Amino acid sequence: MTAGGPALGRRVARLRRLGGAFRAGTLAAAAIVVALVVALAGLLLLESIPSIDRWGLGFFTDPAFSAVPVIVGTLLTSALALLIAVPISLGVAIFAAELAPRWLRTPLAWMVDLGAAIPSVVYGFWALVVVSPWMARTGEPALAHLTGGTGPFSGLPLGEDYLTASLILAIMIVPTISALSREALLGVPRAPREAALCLGGTRWDATRLSVLRPAAPGILGAIMLGLGRAIGETIAVALVIGNIYQLPTSLFSQGGTIPSILVNEFGGAFGLQQSELIELGLVLFAMSFAINLLARLLIRRAQRETGRGGWFSRRRRRGVPAPDPVGTNLRDPLDRPLWWSRVEAGRPRAVRRRRVVYLIALVLVVGATAAAVYPLASLIGTAVQQGGAAVVTPSFYTSTPPPYCLETNASTHCPLGGIGPALQGTLILIALASVVAVPVGLLTGIYLSEYARRRTSQLLGVLVDVMVGVPSLLLGVFVFVLFLRVDPLDARSALSGAAALSLLMIPIIARATEAALRTVSVEVREAALALGFPRHRVTLRVVLGNSKSAILTANFLALGRAGGETAALVFTAGTSSYWFTSLRSPIASLGPLIYDNLTIASAPNWTIDAWGAALVLLLIMAAVSLAARLVLRADRTPGSV
Amino acid sequence: MASKLAVSNLDAWYGAQQVLYAISLELPDRATTAIIGPSGCGKSTFLRCLNRLHEEVPGARTAGEIRLDGDDLARLDPVLVRCRVGMVFQKPTPFPNLSIFENVAAGLRLLGVRRAEELDEGVVDALRDAALWEEVEDKLDAPPSSLSGGQQQRLCIARALAVRPEVLLLDEPCSALDPIATAKVEALLAKLRDEYTLVIVTHNLAQATRVADHTAFFYLGKLVEFGSTEQVFKAPAEKLTENYVNGRFG
Repeated sequence: MTAGGPALGRRVARLRRLGGAFRAGTLAAAAIVVALVVALAGLLLLESIPSIDRWGLGFFTDPAFSAVPVIVGTLLTSALALLIAVPISLGVAIFAAELAPRWLRTPLAWMVDLGAAIPSVVYGFWALVVVSPWMARTGEPALAHLTGGTGPFSGLPLGEDYLTASLILAIMIVPTISALSREALLGVPRAPREAALCLGGTRWDATRLSVLRPAAPGILGAIMLGLGRAIGETIAVALVIGNIYQLPTSLFSQGGTIPSILVNEFGGAFGLQQSELIELGLVLFAMSFAINLLARLLIRRAQRETGRGGWFSRRRRRGVPAPDPVGTNLRDPLDRPLWWSRVEAGRPRAVRRRRVVYLIALVLVVGATAAAVYPLASLIGTAVQQGGAAVVTPSFYTSTPPPYCLETNASTHCPLGGIGPALQGTLILIALASVVAVPVGLLTGIYLSEYARRRTSQLLGVLVDVMVGVPSLLLGVFVFVLFLRVDPLDARSALSGAAALSLLMIPIIARATEAALRTVSVEVREAALALGFPRHRVTLRVVLGNSKSAILTANFLALGRAGGETAALVFTAGTSSYWFTSLRSPIASLGPLIYDNLTIASAPNWTIDAWGAALVLLLIMAAVSLAARLVLRADRTPGSV
Repeated sequence: MASKLAVSNLDAWYGAQQVLYAISLELPDRATTAIIGPSGCGKSTFLRCLNRLHEEVPGARTAGEIRLDGDDLARLDPVLVRCRVGMVFQKPTPFPNLSIFENVAAGLRLLGVRRAEELDEGVVDALRDAALWEEVEDKLDAPPSSLSGGQQQRLCIARALAVRPEVLLLDEPCSALDPIATAKVEALLAKLRDEYTLVIVTHNLAQATRVADHTAFFYLGKLVEFGSTEQVFKAPAEKLTENYVNGRFG
């Protein structure tokens, strides 16, 4: 058979057409993402107009209707959470990446990843049942006692206040910041670490000298992501802050944040009040946008500084003696300064000192790790204790929620019921959302990494990041308002819920895909191109093939995120106690099931039902993050490099 | 001939894979020893055992004994061992976030040197010893990334020399350098050979003959031959050594 000639020409032409079509597909996906972000901002603005007309700048100043307490509440809780979470997270990251014994690193990493994946409704549930009462009885009275009950610690400690909300936020963002910071530390090349060891440094010295600074941009990114998460956190805060419009007089005051107020009041609001709440949402959107831009700015600066050797580098303090006029190479290496013998004699002492410093550092990071792991252990323990009996009962997965029952000893005297409809609804919602989100996210990621020009890619990247950072509650508000305009009957429906979830998943998948594709080196791409592969085949076969585990993992995690989502579903999917009937009616799902139980006066047996649901969510997240880990590890075994 | 480091029956593993088999060898004091052998023969691992860096790699372990001035290395504090046994790597490994001055001063600071004039003197001496002073005296506050590869490698040598180790391990220090930079590093090694115990791993046989008093030939994790450089290259006792030094394999 002869190669070349017209046959080869036809084949090449066909491949070119295919390549063009593929490229157009990725471009379309990217266009969808751009349209979504524009629509999100535009619609929020449009819906805010009545409120803006009515209040103008008075929105921020008018005592008759003041958004100020809520905005202050949002900033205060987030700042406080960051203050608590950053030192702890850095400690965890340093311990997990640098100082922990090897056998401990994997379980620790897994625990941290799990902590980052636990849905906020589960954190909120635990906060309400465990943390808030503890703060009221023990934590806050102790603080008040220590400080004499003055200033920020004055007032009656109720356990349902700014401090508790900030603490919960901190507990929630510690795993996120830790996990990403750990990745940043692990990303620093090994060689300078060994060089530091070879100078007579301990592992801590090696970390300090050669790891922390190069990892700084990544750590900054992690912190900003944590901040973004804290600003937008809805469910957990709403459960423990009180949700009233009131400026804080102390950390023990009740108050509200934008998301907590929104999730409480938006459902029953209409007309001007709805518009006012949407304007609050717009302010929240602006905040998360600003954090995003600030993060970019800081990270870029940090990267530039790394190249220049700035920041942690201590400068010489005084002038160096003039160079030896005799010339450089004539110095006898045997010549030693007088002080050297003192230093040499002091070497064992210096080594002991390094050991002490190392021990202090170790104690600090181990303490931080304990502080990070303890809440997770308490959460898991509580869920197992409360929901354990339910999850091992097979009928729990197939029954509808139990009827209202007011027996005091609910676990023995009331029917257990189940979470069948919620489980079914969650699966339906995720499936529907994936149908849209997986292809759009994947193709956008491919476009970002493979086709977009540098500037386009950067700009689109900003939009995707903005979308990643948008609090999920706002996605729900956006979809709800959009559906209201199209067909009000669909505003609370499976379709609407699935749309909100897909908005949540698209940017996560897109970003992760892009990042995974970018790890495939130029050399590999060029080698494939040199073999005569057309561009899109290089992308599909070589580039995707090389990063498929990472992309699969990202999809897993996005699905997990959607599976436990609550804030985006409260207004869209609504709630239901019944099995699925139609895509156009409200649908049950796990997150809202738990949230409803906590906010509506609930029977004791409903609480057991909710704990069962929380434990199921926990198990799903554990399975997802374990699966992600296994997929990535399998990818690292030799042979598939 | 006094020996600085005495190695006896050294085995080394990475996980389940054994990479060194029963190495016994005495490295003479204040002399240069070259370790030669084809890729993957365990040269670098051997070097990394000499300052207990090998044990920092996950899953790595050793058996056998190494004595530094008669003291069992395994019983000494590894941090102190590494103060006494310095190391320079194949690729330059300056601390990217420290200035040129601070890179050299880092080891001194770890040793507790605080006085500015002592730091200055120590840094300048080390930079002179490493034949880098004239090239960097005007840019001591610049980051190491502003230096060429050869300069960065000499910076790393200066950094190692600043703490005046008794033994200096060099793992193919010239493999990433151009001929001019290589010549400079070799001149430096010649200058240091009377003062330090140097152990240099090299792929470059001509370099071994130029810088080393003694040469050890490793093959597949075993020590095949050890002797004076002249003997190993001119009259090798083993056929395998002869084939290697004559370029019949490698």
